Amino acid sequence: MQEYYPLTAAQKMHHNWILKYKTQQVSGVSVVASLKSPLDFGLLKKCIQLEMERYGCMRVRFTKPDAKGEVRQYIVKKDNRDIPIKDLSGMSMADADNLMQQWAYETFEGDDIPMCDVSMMRLPEGYNGFFIHMDHRLIDSCGIVVMINDVMQLYTHYRFQSDYPDDLADYEKVLEKDLKRANNEKRFAKDKKFWDDQLDALGEPLYSDIQGPSVLAEARKRHGNQKLRAADIELKNLFVEVKDYYLEPEPTKNLMDFCMNHQLSMTNLLLLGIRTYLSKVNDGQEDITIQNFISRRSTHDEWTSGGSRTIMFPCRTVISPETDFMSAAYEIQNVQNKIYMHSNYDPALIEDEMRKRYRTPENTTYESCYLTYQPMPVKMDNPHLANLSQHSKWFANGAATKKMYLTVSHTEHGGMNFSYHYQTAQLAEHDMELLYYYMMRILFKGIAEPDMSIGEIMESV
Amino acid sequence: MTQEMEFKMIVAQYCQVKPEEMKEDMRFREDLGFSSLDFMSFLGELEDTFDVELEEEDALKVLTIGEALELMKRLQEEG
Repeated sequence: MQEYYPLTAAQKMHHNWILKYKTQQVSGVSVVASLKSPLDFGLLKKCIQLEMERYGCMRVRFTKPDAKGEVRQYIVKKDNRDIPIKDLSGMSMADADNLMQQWAYETFEGDDIPMCDVSMMRLPEGYNGFFIHMDHRLIDSCGIVVMINDVMQLYTHYRFQSDYPDDLADYEKVLEKDLKRANNEKRFAKDKKFWDDQLDALGEPLYSDIQGPSVLAEARKRHGNQKLRAADIELKNLFVEVKDYYLEPEPTKNLMDFCMNHQLSMTNLLLLGIRTYLSKVNDGQEDITIQNFISRRSTHDEWTSGGSRTIMFPCRTVISPETDFMSAAYEIQNVQNKIYMHSNYDPALIEDEMRKRYRTPENTTYESCYLTYQPMPVKMDNPHLANLSQHSKWFANGAATKKMYLTVSHTEHGGMNFSYHYQTAQLAEHDMELLYYYMMRILFKGIAEPDMSIGEIMESV
Repeated sequence: MTQEMEFKMIVAQYCQVKPEEMKEDMRFREDLGFSSLDFMSFLGELEDTFDVELEEEDALKVLTIGEALELMKRLQEEG
């Protein structure tokens, strides 16, 4: 008999965005993974079809929404779809990337339908591989990297007799465990207390914008409330541009060494860089909140079960300008560690609580910046493919629910990529240039002189 | 199964070390490769499995398997 399950908190986060912004486009995730090598497409098709059997999240479907817009999920036993080949080999790589970018904007329309499309790709310059387009409620970026590697391990097993890949964890079992944990009343009460205590201690958060205090001032004027502490969300024009900046391997190593020597995680160092910038451009505002995405994958089963396990929580810190850089970093780390312990909670409930306490107007927010730090590169980690050049690329879904969403990832040559997705309704490339420039100045000043105060760093950069 | 073995089996879900190979002086981060998120998720799982309540400040001072086992025993005794 077919089992039906509610969505997890992480899935609900994407689902709520679909309802709020009235398009599934906000929940799209797309990637191409390819090798500069001829591929046996018959064999690759067999491996992708086998992957659909092994990786249960690829077979997840959603029921028709009920009156409240809520859906349930279920996993179909088989999906015997054909996997088509698309030939873009006659184009330039830039044109091929542009075309795949257009595919990333497409939506999955309908109920009880597959929310996952895979095509085999012949690409320019001798690259061959596959393009995946999925709904984020089925998978997050870590899950996609696991999938790509598993497909290629299957391929090299059949092609070169390498070891057959280990079994992947059962999506349904991990889902059941997650739902059981979310329904644990004692845990729920403890998590709720943590988030409520933060509001009790710090009061209502205060919005800080990448473009400075004028954005909040404008919102105050629009709502006729000079004490308003939240600013409006863009709901109509969701178009987003992407601007990437590459940090060379040597400075990347300096950041990583600093983290290692001071037992600090890179996420927390990046959060400090962003919050210091926000403080600088908002007249030294001390109370800053940034939304930080956490990929809740810790156990072996969580790593290999696929699914959408990435969830965002507000990282709120109140840091005075007299605080030295190192202490500020540890303050953020302390807050983040506690958030990790309570990351089973549904972040929508934090927002509900704030709206109830502070009567926050509908469609306003306390945050302008969102961060994802992605330690895992999209790389086929397979000894049989080690000497082959790879072309892998994430494609933005083109409809951001967030004003500015920064994804920081490591590149295969030891550098770091800072990918800024920004809503063009309010932001321009120049805003991203400033943000990146000052973030780097702040971070490198801070790691060079960790005893320097945040106020001095803000003045000196 | 002893409580210690049950504890080590939970630890093993988060790392590459088998329960029978775990030693009390092994450090979660340096020796077992736990990230901050892994460690905090692990503490949550301990609370659910052994029905104890960990104080965050105490929990963050735990560095080794032995220290975690000791804290667990103390909390259960205090009960």
